[in-house]
Amino acid sequence: MSELLEIENLSVRFPLRKSGGAFGAKTYLTAVDSVNFTVKKGETLAIVGESGSGKTTAALAIARLAAGETTGEVRLEGKDILPLSQDDLKAMRRKVQVIFQDPYSSLNPRQRAEDIVREPLDSLTDKTSAEKDVIVDELFAAVGLRPEQKRLFPHQFSGGQRQRIGIARALSTRPEVIICDEPVSALDVAVQAQILNLLRRLQADFGLTYLFISHDLGVVQHMCDSVAVMYMGKIVEHADRISLFANPSHPYTAALLSAVPSVDARRREETKRILIPGDPPDPLNMPPGCRFASRCPVAEARCSQIEPELKPVADGQSVACLLREKG
Amino acid sequence: MEPLLKVENLRIELKTRAGVAPVIDNLNFELGRNESISFVGESGCGKSMTALALMGLLPEGIGRIASGKIIFDGEDLTQASESRLRDLRGNEISMIFQEPMTSLNPVYTVGEQIAEVLREHQNLSKPAAHKAAIELLDAVRIPNPQSRVDDYPFQMSGGQRQRVMIAIALACKPKILIADEPTTALDVTVQAQIFDLLRDLREQTGTSIIMITHDMGAVAEMAERMIVMYAGRKAEEGPVQQIIEHARHPYTKGLISCVPHIMADPAFEREELTEITGIVPGLGSFGQDKCLFSERCSMVTDQCLGARPPEVDFPNGQSAACWRAEEV
Repeated sequence: MSELLEIENLSVRFPLRKSGGAFGAKTYLTAVDSVNFTVKKGETLAIVGESGSGKTTAALAIARLAAGETTGEVRLEGKDILPLSQDDLKAMRRKVQVIFQDPYSSLNPRQRAEDIVREPLDSLTDKTSAEKDVIVDELFAAVGLRPEQKRLFPHQFSGGQRQRIGIARALSTRPEVIICDEPVSALDVAVQAQILNLLRRLQADFGLTYLFISHDLGVVQHMCDSVAVMYMGKIVEHADRISLFANPSHPYTAALLSAVPSVDARRREETKRILIPGDPPDPLNMPPGCRFASRCPVAEARCSQIEPELKPVADGQSVACLLREKG
Repeated sequence: MEPLLKVENLRIELKTRAGVAPVIDNLNFELGRNESISFVGESGCGKSMTALALMGLLPEGIGRIASGKIIFDGEDLTQASESRLRDLRGNEISMIFQEPMTSLNPVYTVGEQIAEVLREHQNLSKPAAHKAAIELLDAVRIPNPQSRVDDYPFQMSGGQRQRVMIAIALACKPKILIADEPTTALDVTVQAQIFDLLRDLREQTGTSIIMITHDMGAVAEMAERMIVMYAGRKAEEGPVQQIIEHARHPYTKGLISCVPHIMADPAFEREELTEITGIVPGLGSFGQDKCLFSERCSMVTDQCLGARPPEVDFPNGQSAACWRAEEV
């Protein structure tokens, strides 16, 4: 089956001015550094990583929403979307929508729920208002909101209901791809389950492809088909769900998994916590070689000289680590 | 032996626009020396209010202790004067707050903020307190404490700031450390480091820990006993592992099964998550004579709507406030 989304050498960098007044050289903070991956239609790819790893920037760049300088190629159904101009961008935005993390700040407090859901239809399509009304009604039912709630304002909804409005808005143009940026991390645990179940149900009903950004590995294990682990702007491991969780290959992935507290007593006994001391390196002054080398428990001397590339190690599993390279 | 802390029939009322609501409704619990317990529940269930009440920090003019006792080391804190509470706070009982970003003062160095506690409570001189601050930074494993002691909070990462908060909380070797969601704002690897640190410090100093959280995984790692709160009332109490294996309250059961837990060997098929429908009721409906969880419960009967369920004790040390606890 063909890939719906192909990302090639995607980089995002933000220009910064160094101290030194007008003559100071321009420096760049590279948030995403030559990232490659593909997503099949109807699948969910999770991008995981800690704060500052570049996962959100990478996903926003795919929606053409990143503020920095974006280079590389993002092909949606075979067509590169990065060079698109404003008019063509509209057609692309119909196909790529976003669900945001914070349901409190991502809805306009002065708009009624139905207007929020209708807005993408107004700005991106030329449907008649009767058609739009039908679509809005369908979406309210699809995300589990009652018709009489259409006239309410965001403050009259609970956090979970607000996230449902955000989901309905993202669905309104019948997109191919939805970028879910930490869609449940601002919600209460019991409400998280409601939203996660809804997202999976909608994926089956509408044939959606998700790009799922999360730092919660339990949620990722439940939601995704494959996982890309990012560290300091690079993908360090990309694998299908089963391989990644059963057999993490990169030392960073292993450390990340071992850090998750677990209710499963057996897992707690079996997993030995892998400590990664210290902090990530300064992104403005990236060390040569592997970016994880300074914190890696198994690093060798060559790790801080040679930069590893993402290479396949097994069926459906690629890792960027010198120690995992064969031969 | 007398427990270190004993809370009896505690009732805390909060003034709202609609009237007075009991945010904590008849709460009883004990905390032993060097014990670690955990309060679990969704937001708005009264976990943080309990912690604030123990610290004597209820919002002034809005919240008050209506009845009940908080007996700490033989002394009833509900009767203690404001100056006595000031003596205890940060000294015998201290607290780590959720947001390491906002709970430090941005215009003082971290060293000054740690030293302040020592000078206030232990009458240390300025140089002595400064020296102690360096030792504390070292104890919470901040690298190079000699120079970091003069850093301002903005120069530190989130995890380091939370370590500074822990250093402040532990400066006077408190008997009780209250940690209110200490790691929710932090990354998992940093969370694991903070948990390790808290465990080690507890071993060294013999401090009792009360941790407030909504993460069952964190509870399983950190606490021996847990208290599940719902709408201001205790839903269930008991040893952690036992409750995880067999909860006796439908709410606890839901809380455990609604979260996708990370598995040792992931299965190919993924079941739908069990949902707890609806949300925590608003303050207005607290305190009614019925089971407040009834509207979200799948096992509800007429009895649940008619009267507040009593706590049922089980021989294994668990107790649950549910009419049908035996069947759960």
